This record gives sequence, structure tokens and C-alpha cells, in this order.
Amino acid sequence: MSSKQYRMSELLDPADARSLVVDTSRALGLGVLPGLEHFMDAVKPLLPLLDAIVASPGQARALKPRTRKEAALLVRADWTNALRGEDFVLPAETIQYLPLLDPVDALDLGANALVMYFILGHEEEIEARCMQRVVNLALEGLSLGMPVLVEVKPVGPRVVLRDKAIELGASFAIEGGSDGIIVPWPGAASFKTILAMGKDLPVWVGDLNLEKDTAVMEEALLLGASGIWLDEHVFALEDPAASLQNSRTLVHGKAVR
Amino acid sequence: MKIGLQNRMDSLFNRHGDGRAICVAADHGYMSDVTPNVVNLRATVEAVIAGGVDGILLSPGQALRLAPLFKGRDGPALIVRADWMNMPRLGTSNVSNAVPQRLLVNEKVITADQALSLGAAAITIYLFLGYSDKIEAISIDKCARFVNECRRAGLPCIIEPLAYGGQVTGANIVEILTLGARMAVEIGADALKIPYTGDVESFRHLIDISAVPTLVLGGARSDNERDALELYAEAHEAGASGCLMGRNVTKSPDPRKMIEQLCHIGHQDWSVDEALRGEMWDFVRLKAKPTLCTGCDLCVGACVASHGSGAYGIHQARLRIETGSQPGQHRVLFCTSCKKCIDVCPTHALRWHLKNGAVELIPERCDDCGKCIEICPTQVILRSETGISFEDGHALEWHPVICDLCGGAPECARICPTGAIFITPRKDFTPVLE
Repeated sequence: MSSKQYRMSELLDPADARSLVVDTSRALGLGVLPGLEHFMDAVKPLLPLLDAIVASPGQARALKPRTRKEAALLVRADWTNALRGEDFVLPAETIQYLPLLDPVDALDLGANALVMYFILGHEEEIEARCMQRVVNLALEGLSLGMPVLVEVKPVGPRVVLRDKAIELGASFAIEGGSDGIIVPWPGAASFKTILAMGKDLPVWVGDLNLEKDTAVMEEALLLGASGIWLDEHVFALEDPAASLQNSRTLVHGKAVR
Repeated sequence: MKIGLQNRMDSLFNRHGDGRAICVAADHGYMSDVTPNVVNLRATVEAVIAGGVDGILLSPGQALRLAPLFKGRDGPALIVRADWMNMPRLGTSNVSNAVPQRLLVNEKVITADQALSLGAAAITIYLFLGYSDKIEAISIDKCARFVNECRRAGLPCIIEPLAYGGQVTGANIVEILTLGARMAVEIGADALKIPYTGDVESFRHLIDISAVPTLVLGGARSDNERDALELYAEAHEAGASGCLMGRNVTKSPDPRKMIEQLCHIGHQDWSVDEALRGEMWDFVRLKAKPTLCTGCDLCVGACVASHGSGAYGIHQARLRIETGSQPGQHRVLFCTSCKKCIDVCPTHALRWHLKNGAVELIPERCDDCGKCIEICPTQVILRSETGISFEDGHALEWHPVICDLCGGAPECARICPTGAIFITPRKDFTPVLE
């Protein structure tokens, strides 16, 4: 087993090759997120329910100690203002995309993988930079055994065909050398295409509403998704732990404790 | 030349010891919208390897994933796409785009050292001409940097000049491609990947002024596989060192067969017809299945067109259809290679052509006796409309016009839509030099 496979096996349950992941890293661009005002207090109790958690570099340093029963650590490798809405206190006038971490930093943080955005639909330069970033993280990660997971974000105004844009983003991620892909639900047909393209790669479905999208989650898992990739909205729910238990049962068919 | 550079050039261009390479570009998922050839890439790559491909162009990510397929000394050379661009998704392209692009972007993505660490035998990068002065300058800058990196790493750098943008017209595209080829060489390209210029002469000129191995690309996929093979055959005739074809292979219903056909043309100098039928015949003869003939006369038109007789030259066709009362009753009359004309000629002016096995006239020996015309059982030997004058002063008022089998690939058989006229091998035939 290569060191990359070893790290991936810590975030994908070897029993079913699936995982439940929660991403807390959008605070990098959005600041305080509802339910995550006190990061450690909010996150720590949920770690045993998760297979992996995505954290910003700063919060990754705070996430200690972790036991072997708790979620694997994934770190956000980039920063962007592309996810800010028009009603945000500082709406994005021009889209910015910056690299933050490289595989050496991720090793230093004890991370199991790097996570990066692939932003589609904004300036051409942003796409080009995302592509450069995937390839470079993949190649640098190769020698260090650090996987790179690519989160496809078809968020720009020039996205015409959303499902096809998600396919395109997944294709770019695969061609760039990613070790896993996170996509918003593109519909069953496009999802099958993505699974066929990324035959040997884990594909998570993200941008889901935990309360409303249960049917989508079931369908995605049935088609072959490697798991569910939730965002910070989990922490704003009335009982995040109960919701995550349900999600965990959905993903793995078993609850924890 | 650095030994590493030489070795890698050889691993790509000298797998067969002939300095040629039949390669496939399978990097479309890196830049274009998702199409079936992108989704089924692994299967396609396996198929072309089975077909004997010499090199495969992949994105860095796919190079990582598909590396095990390249193993072994018999495995193909890996060519890595080292830059990224969005041209296929620009508004003027023919793809219905999920995320249309407005401005051309072309960026360096990996370094030569990184490509080397992937096991690449070469990298490919674009040189854009005709879009804008700024893009041209950026392209030149990028190519120059790559060339320097590649030289230090001992990695061949294949530059791909592309004529694209508002400055490119049908009238100047050949000139721009030739310019691009030469500029790429001046920058330091070790080889070129370039579109076909459209005719053998201009492509021969491009290759001549480039003086580095040149791989022709295939462009958009044609529905007719013959088109791609003919494009490559013409480039091969012009002196190309091989091809780096993409969609014409990866979108083909049978990529393996397509590669085998290209290899036969590139490495064994087969004609397109020979490649299509998968067998090399030194000599052919025409055959017919009259029941399949619809009397459309396309064969007659093809004959006069291929011999430059023009629209008014139907009577100069070297074959004819005698129309019956209904389809299936037409008679197809052509030279059957029966040899009666050769045997009857009193001056030995007729003989078998040494290279294609057709009946050949030696005009200097002909005395216009007309016996060949009289004896031809299918009456397809014609009298020429013009005579010939010789240097020694004697002249022929006319001479016999005989089917030349179009040099070994008869147009009539090629064009016949029903297969009523076809060719078969003359395997037991050996023309002897007098």
C-alpha cells in the first residue's frame, strides 16, 4: 500500500469504501459561521460520528488531540471569495483565488489529504489557475504521499448547463490528477458519467441539505457515490449530532455507539 | 545532443527503426467538454496500445492514473500535455459549451522536471498564432521557457503551432502554419505537432523549412474513416514523421483498427486502400458483380475525372456500363487484364507495368496499327484524341488509351456505392523486366 492509499484508507471506511465528511473550512472566506462560533466546542463532540472533517489551516492546528476513533483531518488548501453571496458584508467585486497550503504544509499539520476548489463560471484566468493548482498539488503530493481532493464549484455567472459544468469540473479534476472528487448533485445521468470517468476514484456528493435531500443522498449512494460531503450548515441545525447519526446510518448502514 | 534527450526522441520516433511515430492525442478531457471518448479513456488507451501505437499524449492526471498501461519495452511512449488552454470552449468553437469562454487562456501547468518524473518521453505545448499579438507573445514566452527547461532535463519538447483567431482566414492559414512551424523551430522545438495544410506540396514545404520531426494532427473527427487515413497518407507522402491524431482515433468505433491502419501507412508505406482492407496487394485486377450495378455511372465519372478528361470527356472513360432494361441487368465492361492486347501487339509496345500490374503503353514502339483495339474483348481500349511527337521526328496521330488501374488503386472501384466493381489481388502475377 502506498502512503497515499494509506492516508485515503483513513478517511474512507475500508469496510464499505464510503465516508461521511463535514467541511468547516468555508469560514476562511465567510468568517463566523452559524453554529461554529466556538469551533472546538462545536466540532469536538461530532468527530466520532464523522469519517473526516475539512478544516482551515488555522483550525486544523487547533484540532488536537484527536483519537483514532475520531474523524480524519483534511485541510483546505486554497482561499477564494467566489462563495460569497451578494448580501455578504464584503461581496466579491472581482473573484479571487489563492493557494494557501502545499503538501509539505499538509504533512506538517498531520492531514490525511488536501482539499481544493475548482471554480467554474468566473474569469478564464481563475479556471486556468485552478487547473494549475490541481496538477501541481497532485504531482507534489505524489512524492509525499499526500492525496488531493478536488471540490467542483460551478458557481460563476457563465455556467450555462449546470449538470454539464459539473461533469466538466470533474473531468478537469481527473485530468489534473486528483485523488478524489466532490461534486454537487448533477442528476443521475451526469453522476453516472462522472463515476464512469473517475472509475477508480472516490466521488462524494456535496452541497446537500441534510433535512431535504435524503432521497438524493440515497440515490447517489446507490449509484456508487463514495459518501456524503456536508458543509457548515450541519452546525446550525437544532441537533447536529442526531442529524449526523442519521446521515451516518445512511452512508454506512450503521450508527456509532 | 544530451543522451537523455536522444534516448527519449528514439523511444518515440524510433521504435520501428524508421524515424516515424504513430501517436494518439488523448488529452481532450483536459480542455474540452465531456464527450464519450473522455469518459471511456481507459478503454480507448488500452485499445490503441493493442493496435501498436507508438506514443500517447495524456494530461498529467491521466498519465498518473494510466501509467501501468505503458509498462514494458513494447509499451508506447508517454507524451504529457504540459500546458492548458480553453480554446475548444470558446464561443466560436463547435462544441455546445457548459461554461462558455470569452477569452483565450493558455497557461503553463507543469515543469519539464515534473513531466520527467511522470515518465514522459516528451511534452507537448501550444503556440497560438492569429488570436492577438498579446497571446502570441505569451505563447512564445511560454514555449521558450519550456524549451530551456526541457533542454536541461533532456526531455524532447514538441511544439504545436495552432492558427486560431480573428487574424486567421482561409487565405492565410497555410502561411500562418508555416510561419508557426518555423518560429517553433527557431525557439528550439525538438519536434512539431501541426495541422495538415491541405495539400501535399504546401505540407512538404512546411516540413522542409522545419527540419525537425513533424507529426500531423487530425483535427475534428470525420464520419468517414478514410478521410483521416487519407489526410495522414498525404502528410506521410509529404515527409511527415508520423501523426498525433486525437478524435479521429479516440472517437472511432474501433480505435485499435484505426491505429493498425495508420501504422500500416506510416511504418510499412501501405496505401490507404491497402490499410483499409488490412492486406497489402502488390497487384490488383478489377472484378464486377453485375447484379449489384445500378447503372449510376459514378464509375465512369470517376474514371474521366481521375484522368483529367473533364466533364466533356465521358467518351474517354476506360470503362463503360451497358445499360440493361432494369437494375441487375446492366453490363459492367472494363479491362480484365486478359493480356490479349499485349500478345497481339506486333511491336511489343504493350507490357505489364512493373509497379502496378496494369497494361502499359511504350509510345516509342507503337505504330498505330490498332490491333489491340480490335482484339479487346470488352472494347475498352480507346483511340486517343491527340497524337504524340517524338524527338527523333516521327509522330503518332493517335495512340491506344488503356486502363492504368489508376496506379494500383482504381477510382471506379473506390467510388462504386454498391460494390459492383471491386478489386481483387493478383497474387500469382509477377511482371518481368524485358
